[in-house]
Amino acid sequence: MKFLIMISLRNLLRQKRRNILLGSAMAFGVLILVLATSFSHGISDIMFNKIVAYVAGHVNVSIREGKGQMISIFRDRDRLVKIVKEKTGDKLKDYDEGIGIFLRAIGNGKAENMVLVGVNMNKTYSDEQRKEYEESFHMIEGMFRDLLSTDVENPVILSKEKAALLNVKKSDTIRVRFNNIYGQTQSARLTVTGIMSNDNIFMQGVMFVEIKNIKEMMGYRPYESTAIHITLKNPQADAVQIADSIHEALKPGPAFIAADLSANGIRAKATIIPYMGNDDAMKKIISSSFTLISGKMDDVLMKSGVMVSDRIAAKLGLTPGSKMEFRYKPKFEAKIIPHSVEIKGVFRSDMTTGSDTVYMHEALFYPKFYDRVPDLTADVKDAFLPSPEAPFYKALGTEWVLLDRTRDSDEMRKKYRSISKRKIKAAAVDVNSMYESASDVLKLEGALNIITFGAVLVLFFIIVVGVINTLRMTIRERTREIGTIRAIGMQKKDVRTIFILESVFLTLFASAAGTILSFITMWLMSLKTFNVIDNPMGILLVKQHLYFLPTIGGVVKNILLILAISVVTAYFPAKRAAGMRAADALRHYE
Amino acid sequence: MNIIEIRELKKNYPLGTTTVHALRGIDMNIIEGDFLSIVGPSGSGKTTLLNIIGCIDSASEGSVKIGGVEITSLNDIEVTDMRLNRIGFIFQTFNLIPVLNVVENVEFPLLLMKKFTKAEVRKRADKLIDEVGLTDHAHHRPAELSGGQRQRVAIARALVTNPDIVLADEPTANLDSVTGGQILELMKEMNRIEKTTFIFSTHDENVLRYARDILKIRDGVLVKE
Repeated sequence: MKFLIMISLRNLLRQKRRNILLGSAMAFGVLILVLATSFSHGISDIMFNKIVAYVAGHVNVSIREGKGQMISIFRDRDRLVKIVKEKTGDKLKDYDEGIGIFLRAIGNGKAENMVLVGVNMNKTYSDEQRKEYEESFHMIEGMFRDLLSTDVENPVILSKEKAALLNVKKSDTIRVRFNNIYGQTQSARLTVTGIMSNDNIFMQGVMFVEIKNIKEMMGYRPYESTAIHITLKNPQADAVQIADSIHEALKPGPAFIAADLSANGIRAKATIIPYMGNDDAMKKIISSSFTLISGKMDDVLMKSGVMVSDRIAAKLGLTPGSKMEFRYKPKFEAKIIPHSVEIKGVFRSDMTTGSDTVYMHEALFYPKFYDRVPDLTADVKDAFLPSPEAPFYKALGTEWVLLDRTRDSDEMRKKYRSISKRKIKAAAVDVNSMYESASDVLKLEGALNIITFGAVLVLFFIIVVGVINTLRMTIRERTREIGTIRAIGMQKKDVRTIFILESVFLTLFASAAGTILSFITMWLMSLKTFNVIDNPMGILLVKQHLYFLPTIGGVVKNILLILAISVVTAYFPAKRAAGMRAADALRHYE
Repeated sequence: MNIIEIRELKKNYPLGTTTVHALRGIDMNIIEGDFLSIVGPSGSGKTTLLNIIGCIDSASEGSVKIGGVEITSLNDIEVTDMRLNRIGFIFQTFNLIPVLNVVENVEFPLLLMKKFTKAEVRKRADKLIDEVGLTDHAHHRPAELSGGQRQRVAIARALVTNPDIVLADEPTANLDSVTGGQILELMKEMNRIEKTTFIFSTHDENVLRYARDILKIRDGVLVKE
């Protein structure tokens, strides 16, 4: 083999001009390919690890409740975070609550609509994360960590463009008006502690504030969470699988309250269970499964519907129209608040309904349930929960409604449209991967892949045409030589190997030259500064420079691809050369 | 002892719609260590006969045995091995490998045999190069040598594997008469030293005086043995 390699290498030097020409064309193709793949990698890196990670996370758990499902709130933050941590394991890079509000900001004589986004400054960041954050914010005045300052009211960082628009500078106050999670209009004062210069268009229109401050402004309690944005170490490989497993873990249990009831000075323990009453099918199930001893089913099925079991009614002296109080110990609050409800019916209890039970319309149940979430895991031992085999089980409420997983943004939009028609009263929990929530951004990657594919095609064309033509000429010129070496005793496979090796070496040298040239080109191109303020193309830049991310794996993959094309292309002419009869080859004259 | 035995050898070439009968039934034996010349005019079948004996062309009919082995029934790999191990070639146009120098050209067949160490290969090549008088040119490429020197390299290359037979197709046709004479003297000397059977074709009556035996061929048949 060593001998064949030596002959191949020397043969390469025989037609220097021709091989240099073909090698240059190949090197140019490799240059384009490495350039395109590195640029595409760079964009992917920006998209997956910066844009998508900032906008929605690689996996996003969103929770909406309230009228029109407008409030983004999960009532048990620790439970959600535990699930996220368990299901992501060592694939997790980071997770955070994603909170942003649209508001009207008033500066010094100027006003502007802006977005206020929460940043968690109280986490322990790795050096890499801290560096990434600092690079993202690119402070020109103040310090990133000033967001934690307690000397001023609601410290905030904004871009120099927005600071100019609001006519504010460091230490100035910005007054803001916004709606909190309860829909009430609130106002607050923010203090400018830093101004950043950022070429990323997503960062330019945003003011940043410590997440604790923004949650307080919006009315969140410490144990409540907004949507959770999860960033992964390898989002392209893991996002969908992680989203699926978190979705599986978020399957809701039954909703109930293990309550103390009181009426007419008498107390009793009972389980309050919600039923769905906004849907005709569910109404039918409830009306056919419960037999009212007193009261009307129509009243029970109204939004204020409450029906108690015959046993509870007898114990507390309740009849339709009488009032009852219930109270329970919330999971997170010390204070116990009594709720008063009016009884609309008394049902005949049996094994399936339970005898110490109260069934409540979901419209009445959930506001109380979510306002102070009971400790369901602790209370379950005191509660009666209908069996899943009960005929009305399907009509009972759960802790929340878990929306189905979707695969892309179109499916996701359809899902939200269908949910809005269902008018559910429980909170809706949704788990999305970036392939649904940021698919429009990811389409850009598809476009880049097409460019890369185009580069591969060009290269393929160069190699196929170049190698075939070169080998044809070479074989024609060396026909008598082939005859000679075959006559001397070289086997066909060795003759074939010589020609294939020549192509391989030419491709390898061209690939190495093309790769070196591509790195020089990338370096030169990334020296150029692009001033693209307020231009969407700014997302393609890092610190106003083109961002290339060549990887060893990518370069090796490209070279292997080119080598494979080259070997396959060279194989057939080489086989033809090796297959020539020695006598015929020796008779050949140019 | 016969090193080559040929019976009823025919070779036909299709040429358009007709068939050219290059060999029309050759019967001959060649004894081991002979220095034989095949003589005939152009187109008489000399090269075809040498090609078939040299296993680089196949017979249309008949039997060819080399060292007792029937070569017409061998497959391509076996035939190639036969050429490598038992036959040496000297061509009219020298046919050296241009990218290899003298030593490398001579070593070439030994390296294909893959049974000698590097030192053994070099020792054998150096010996042959010395015998053909090219020690001073051992590291020259063919393009740097004269016609006579190139043919000397070809002789060394043909003999380096210690073959049973060396076939030379008009070895002096591209050389002037003095150099041609020297080459034939060298071949004869090598035949004496190495005890190798030499068969060379020529249409030049002047070179016949070097041959020990002469076969005349005309229109594909032997005229006189």
